[in-house]
Amino acid sequence: MRVLVVEDDESLSEQICQSLLDADYVVDVAHDGEEGHFLGDTEPYDAVILDLGLPVMDGRSILKKWRADGRTMPVMVLTARDSWTDKVEGLDAGADDYLTKPFIVEELLARLRALIRRSAGQSSSQLECGPVLLDTRSGRVTVGGRAVKLTAQEFKLLSYLMHHSGKVVSRTELTEHIYDQDFDRDSNTIEVFVNRIRKKLNVSVIHTVRGLGYQLEWTEDTA
Amino acid sequence: MTGKLRHFFKTLTGRLLKSAIMWSVAALAVGGLTLSFVFRAYVLSDVDQRLSMLLDSMVGVSEISPEGVLRFSRPLSDQRFMTPESGQYWQISEKGQEPFRSRSLWDFELKPDMNRNIFSLRYDEVAGPDGQTLRVAERDIILPDSDRIFHFQVATDMAVVKAAIARFNWLLVSALALILFTVTMSLVLQVSYGLRPLRHLGRSLAQIRAGKERRIEGDWPQDLQPLAQEINALMEQNEQLVDRARTHVGNLAHALKTPLSVIQNEVEKADDERAVRIKTQSRHIREHIDHHLKRARIAGGGSGPGLLIKDRLEKLIKAVSVSTREKAIQYNLNCPDTCCFDGEKEDFDEVLGNLIDNAGKWAAHRVNISAKTLSDDVRRPFIEIRVEDDGPGVPDDEIDTLFERGRRLDERIPGTGLGLAIVRDIVEMYGGDVRLEASPLGGLAAILKLPTK
Repeated sequence: MRVLVVEDDESLSEQICQSLLDADYVVDVAHDGEEGHFLGDTEPYDAVILDLGLPVMDGRSILKKWRADGRTMPVMVLTARDSWTDKVEGLDAGADDYLTKPFIVEELLARLRALIRRSAGQSSSQLECGPVLLDTRSGRVTVGGRAVKLTAQEFKLLSYLMHHSGKVVSRTELTEHIYDQDFDRDSNTIEVFVNRIRKKLNVSVIHTVRGLGYQLEWTEDTA
Repeated sequence: MTGKLRHFFKTLTGRLLKSAIMWSVAALAVGGLTLSFVFRAYVLSDVDQRLSMLLDSMVGVSEISPEGVLRFSRPLSDQRFMTPESGQYWQISEKGQEPFRSRSLWDFELKPDMNRNIFSLRYDEVAGPDGQTLRVAERDIILPDSDRIFHFQVATDMAVVKAAIARFNWLLVSALALILFTVTMSLVLQVSYGLRPLRHLGRSLAQIRAGKERRIEGDWPQDLQPLAQEINALMEQNEQLVDRARTHVGNLAHALKTPLSVIQNEVEKADDERAVRIKTQSRHIREHIDHHLKRARIAGGGSGPGLLIKDRLEKLIKAVSVSTREKAIQYNLNCPDTCCFDGEKEDFDEVLGNLIDNAGKWAAHRVNISAKTLSDDVRRPFIEIRVEDDGPGVPDDEIDTLFERGRRLDERIPGTGLGLAIVRDIVEMYGGDVRLEASPLGGLAAILKLPTK
């Protein structure tokens, strides 16, 4: 899952980023509104954490512009202004959730997980595909009750596929969502990761769709 | 009574009236005294002139008889000289002789000073018969063909003249009093009419203080216009100052929140003694910030066109439902399109946001929000808003303590409680009312009464 953090306070954005990285998210950071808007406009993110009080361009304007331009990724707004009027205006501008400062990063993570899950159309924090179970809260993966140990990159990839279970996901899309923007992208590594995951899961849930990408699906007869 | 009067004379009306009346009284007094003096002088000169003519005619008819006795060649024409104590007298005296007197003097005798001879005419006032005061014209005369000196006196009673003067003075005083009364009345009218714009200005200011107007509007007399403008400018400046102060407080509080987040996150994972202390203290800082921010935000006072609440309630429900999304609470809104609140949007949001948020937190499945306009109070129209949930509710005997507890906790530890303290503060500021009771849905019902347009 790739997340954009737009926060001008260095210390806070560092804390947020570190926690996100610890939770196996792919993180891009912008320190002012203009950069933040540009990144959100050009890169595909699974979620955006957006501070409203930003230099150059304020958060609400960024959000309005994104929504006007048809960008639909879930946006979590961070704001020091906690009056109900501010909340209403933030949501009016197109935010999906808000968190008022000061906050504990754990709360941010919990809300972010729920936000990403909901935007992918999943209502439970447990993502399921046949015997494969991915708990977004604990980051644990099990197959038929057996725990599977995945590396950070493997988890990111599987998690993205599980969130978009049933849909065909291209290699480029996967690359974009599991690497940050500075990474030297090579779609071959994706293939390597997918093969490793298949081996570790030991059940056939990840199918290759020739020329298009991968699809996560569980059918009884493939077992 | 005297205290009241002193107080009245310190008012603008009192001052104007006092000075005007003082001047009127002084002017009327001077005028009255002058008139009285002139009249008296005129009446006296008239009397003196008559006496002088009588004296001349007395001298004209006087002769010395062959026996050497003074007599009149013919009687004086005025009958009053014959009637005793009539008020008209004459007397001719010669040194060492019995004076020759008018009959009217009867047994009274004028006592002229016979030691000095003054041949010119002079006037005097002397005592007469029967306690009368007499005006006397007198001179010494040497009749032709003799060398004897006679002292001629003719006198008239001053009582008539004095009565005339007294009557005149009485008339004068009554006329002047009437004038003073009329002038005073017209002054009172004039002052109250003239000061009416000032009283109007006072009422305008009261309206502003009551929050019904924002500025002093209207056409003012040219001399009050600058005052009205100055007051308006002052209020604008005041608003700006308050605004600026509020913005500064807000900015400061908001600026503190980001570093506070960092501090809280830094110590979140650690649990040694120092970290716990820092955690506690930073929580206090947060609570203080919230407490003061919320109170600084209360705007209060109605103005403008009024806030249509349906749209606001819909937006607030949307905002609240973000935090209760996991529970799938159903929010039902029943509000007429025309329902409006006479006050600031921020205050309305804060009150209803808190109440709906509380209801959403406790509700099992649904929250009902309904609004209607109350028509029973004609003096000031109100709307009633009910926020009800189907949660566990609060026992009847504890409902009353909710506000108290919220309030008490809120004052000791700001930011805690159910947010009800701030709700109550705002509602009271608008002269409204908020109460809690058991809801038919099973949970708690908050019933709000807020002013409308």
